[in-house]
Order: sequence, then C-alpha cells, then structure tokens
Amino acid sequence: MELTVNSVARTVQSPPLTSLLTVLREELDITSPKAGCESGGCGACTVLVDGQPRRSCLTAVCAVDGAEVTTVEGLGTPEDLSRVQQAFIHHYAAQCGFCTDGLIVAATAYVGGGGSDDTGDIGEALAGHYCRCTGYVKILEAVAAVARGDTFDTASTASSANNTYVTIAGAES
Amino acid sequence: MKVVGARLPRYDGVGHVTGRTTYVDDVRVPGMLHAAALRSVHHNARITRLDTGAAAAMAGVHAVVTHADVPLLVYGHLSGAGIPGDEPLLAKDHVRYRGQPIALVAADTVDIARAACAAIEVDYEELPALFDVRLGFDGDAPVINDTFGNWYDQYEGNLDVRQIRKGDIDAAMDAADLIVSGVYRTQSVEQVPLETQVCVAIPEPDGRLTIHTCTQAMYFSLGVVCSHLQLPMSEVKMVGGTVGGGFGGKVDTASDTLTALAAQKSGQPVKWRWTREEEMLASGNRGPWHMEIIDAVTSDGWILGRKMLTIHDAGAYGRFSVYGLTKHSFHHTGAYSIPNLHFDGYVVFTNKIPTTAMRGYGVTGLSTAIEVHAERVAKELGMDPYEFRLKNANRVNDTSPNRIAYEDPSTVEVLQSLAAATGVELGDGLRAMTREQRSGDMLPDHLVAQIGSGGGH
Repeated sequence: MELTVNSVARTVQSPPLTSLLTVLREELDITSPKAGCESGGCGACTVLVDGQPRRSCLTAVCAVDGAEVTTVEGLGTPEDLSRVQQAFIHHYAAQCGFCTDGLIVAATAYVGGGGSDDTGDIGEALAGHYCRCTGYVKILEAVAAVARGDTFDTASTASSANNTYVTIAGAES
Repeated sequence: MKVVGARLPRYDGVGHVTGRTTYVDDVRVPGMLHAAALRSVHHNARITRLDTGAAAAMAGVHAVVTHADVPLLVYGHLSGAGIPGDEPLLAKDHVRYRGQPIALVAADTVDIARAACAAIEVDYEELPALFDVRLGFDGDAPVINDTFGNWYDQYEGNLDVRQIRKGDIDAAMDAADLIVSGVYRTQSVEQVPLETQVCVAIPEPDGRLTIHTCTQAMYFSLGVVCSHLQLPMSEVKMVGGTVGGGFGGKVDTASDTLTALAAQKSGQPVKWRWTREEEMLASGNRGPWHMEIIDAVTSDGWILGRKMLTIHDAGAYGRFSVYGLTKHSFHHTGAYSIPNLHFDGYVVFTNKIPTTAMRGYGVTGLSTAIEVHAERVAKELGMDPYEFRLKNANRVNDTSPNRIAYEDPSTVEVLQSLAAATGVELGDGLRAMTREQRSGDMLPDHLVAQIGSGGGH
C-alpha cells in the first residue's frame, strides 16, 4: 500500500487490517498520534486523511490506501509553527500534551474549513476529544483566536478571557 | 522580579504542539519486546495451580515472570515510612481483587504476549468476596488482608484506629442548642489519564537497568523498584518527567517493577503499556470514603464540637491509604475552626482495586461532606450559609485538628470572592471581615483556648 504521509510518499508493509495508528507509530515511527484508548473514544490518535480528521486507531490502513495523511509533524516545525500550534502555546492550551496533537489536527481542519470563533461550534467540532488537564476553556480560546485571525507571540502567553478574579482587599493586583 | 506576574510560555509547549515530546510509549529501542499481564478474573480466590510451561514454550515468548522471580515479593508503598508491606508484586497463592497481576509475559509482539497469557494455566478456588466497607467489621466477614486483617491495626500506640481528640467533646454536645448529624459516602473515581500506565525497561551492557517511567514520583518509584529487585539504587537509572496525565494515578509504581523484571529475565528491552481497559479496571483509583459527622452547634451559628467517624475503603492492600487517612484526619474540620473534636478513622480492606491518590488525597471527598453538612446545619438553624461559614472560618492563629496554628488561612477571602463571583450580596459585617486573629464578637469564649501562635509548621 502507498500513503503520502506529511507530503512524503511511503510504502506500507504492515498487513492490510493493521490500524493506521499502528502503521504510523510502529512502522513509520511517527509518534504524535497517541494510543489513548484504541477504541475510538478519546481522540488522541486523530490524523487528517485527505484533509478530514479521522480516528487512526479505528481506521484499517487498507481503507486509506493512496490517501494523503497528515499528522501534527506535518503541520509545522519548532522553527515554523502553524497558527494553530502558536495559538496552543500562546493560550496555554497544552498541559500534559498527550491529547494536544490530536486536538491540533482537528482544530486545523476546523479552522481550515472556515470554522467561526463561536465556542459552541468549536466545541462541537472538537467533541470527540478528551483532555483531562485543561478543562477545555483554554483549548476553546486558542481555536477561537485562530478563527478570529489573532496573531500570537509564543515568547509570552495570552491573558485569558475568563480571568475575572476578584481583587482581595489589601492585595496588590 | 522578571517571573512573578509575567506571562511565561510553557518550557515544553513547542514540543507538545509539534509532536516532538517523547512520552514513554514513544521511546524506541532496538530489539524491544512487548509485555502483557495475566490478571485475576476473581475478586477473592486461592490459586491452587499455576503452570506457565506451555506459555513459556511458545514461539516468540522470551520471558514469563511470576512470583517466584521476584527477589522481594512483598513490599509496601509506605515501607520506607515504617508501615509494613502487605502487597505481593505478583499474586502467589491468593488473589484479592479482580485484575490483580499474576504473571507478566514478554514476547516479540504484544499479540504473542497476550496469547501466552491465555496459555498460562491457573486453577482458582473462589472465595466469598467483601465489597462493602461497613461489613468489614462483622465477625463472619471474609478476612481480606493477610498482614492487617480487615482494617489497618498498626497506628502509633498500638491503636487500630486513627484518632484525634481535642478539647472536650462531651461538654460541647451538652452545651449545644442543636445537634446535626449526617452520613456522607463518596464513590471511587478513576483518574483516567489519557496516557495509560506504561514503562520501557532496558538491560544495559554493564548490567544496570534503564527504566523509562511515567511515574509522578521518580525517586519514590526508584525506591520501590530497587526494593522489590533487591538492587542498590546505583544499578537503576530512571528516566521520566514526561507524564501523559497522572492526577494521582501515577504515584503508585504500577508498571516499572514488573517491566524491569521482565527485562532482566529476557535480557532484552521490554515495553509494557496497559490497555485502556486495564487502566480502568486494574489501576489504583480514588477510593470511596464513608463519613459520619455529628456537629454540636449553637442557635447563633457557632460550631462547638464535631464527632466524626470515617471508614476509608482501601481496596485489597494498604498502599498509601494510611497516609491518606491521616491527612483526612488533619483536615476533618475543613476550612472552619472547631475547638472540641472526637475523630475516629479506619482504613478498611475490601476485595477491590487498591486505592491511591487523586487530586487532594483523603481530602476531596471529605470537603464534599463538610460543605454539604455546613449547608445543612445553616438550613437547620435558619441562618444564611455564608454567615454561618464566615463566622466559623479559620482565622490567623486558629488551630487545626492536629494543633497547627494557621499562619495564612484564606477561608474568609475565598468565601467573599465566591459570593462576589456568584452575585451574592453579603452584609457589611461579612464583607468587612478579614483573616486577622479573632477578637471581639468573633472570639466567643469557646474559641479562646484553641488559639495558638504562628509558626506551628
């Protein structure tokens, strides 16, 4: 089978019913898609197949023969981050990071498809992804910021829209 | 002051968003084997026969590790703190919870390892199981824990109960206008890290072991591994720091020791990654707590005394439960100052997964009980729940159940912020309240004797 993975043509030797996740991780050594549950529940294995987010753990590699597969490694590098990647840093949307790659891939498809900065729409687009650390607020803010066309400075981080702390009498703000 | 108040990017942010952070499952080592565990299918059973011969003879199987391979089979997570060990690394002749590991197989592929596990022959003699902590004290209850019986019995002073006695509880009950009691029971909770328990162990040419670990407690895990394996710490190099979520569930050393043993026995690098099902069914979770609270209160809203009974469901083995219960006992008044206390707490064993830390070990369920109870007391008194809480809120130099004087209690400000954030109007007196040491109306007679002085830590 032939795949184009992150713009590179690859020949796959694994048996046809091997999951795309296993092919990517174990045969091609592309480790950003994570084996969080291997049953389609957590979203950590999400990759783009011809531009659409797919659960690589539930996708038999033979079903995507000839397709173009994109993982987070193909979206940007540390020297040349994509806007979604910049936004995730700027808005603290990555904590332990284990779910992050799948979320960035899905968010990239959402924004690339003209998705708005409406957090309800973003939430629906990312509904198949679990994050146990961030409580999702920062993730929604990051994706909304990209959809709005914000610019990001990865040397600092953004003030959260939800930072409505009550000032304590006597404490410096 | 370049850092305080500045918005600093995460040092690991770029790695996280580009797929370059190396989690344990991403470690690649030539010749790496894959492991799978044989786990108990029963909650409580004797193992009458364990035969790994057929499994070990399978093509592609390089090591089958059982209890017989463990240099020090029984070790406790708190052994270093003087609490006796009670949990075998692998079950020998008795399984005490469903999912307890009996053997670990290392093979060329995980599929072969799983097939080999299925080929291990185990005969069980199933025994009645105990799931309800309240029944653990019954004379006819099955005995759960070989070392301690049905509840931990080796607190200081040869007590089988964690006790706190402060002030005069009987006098408080006598003086009360109202006594409000409640029973609160919280359920077990799995931490559900997105990264399941995982380890890669590598036997190095010089005889040492390198262990890539997902632990939340590196040096603690080093101690546990070296104790079971009876190795000096200089022989084991732990590589960690990248945890795909833990939330307390990776404080137990769940996979490192067995993976290391399989690497030693096979002479090859071994990876053991738990499935999601194993993570949910067999990894340590937050245990259930049974809490009974009896408060002696006055009609003007002071809590004179608290009597409390706690039964902590530890699961089958002790692990950190004694620590969790002790912390629970220190916090059993919550954010409030109560001068007369009578606390009894038990760590009780059941045929369930051994329980462990999760976000505020021993205290989170307790806080639920305390706050629900506070709400009930205020309702019984016909009093504004904010006023009830703020009156009794910890102040500077109020003392905790274990007699530590609070230097910087934040209860007052937290309650005021909570009211402001939720649109609750506090009266002038409550809005003006501060954390400063009690005086005047806020220092009634019953709170005088409990005042301590700062620096109690």
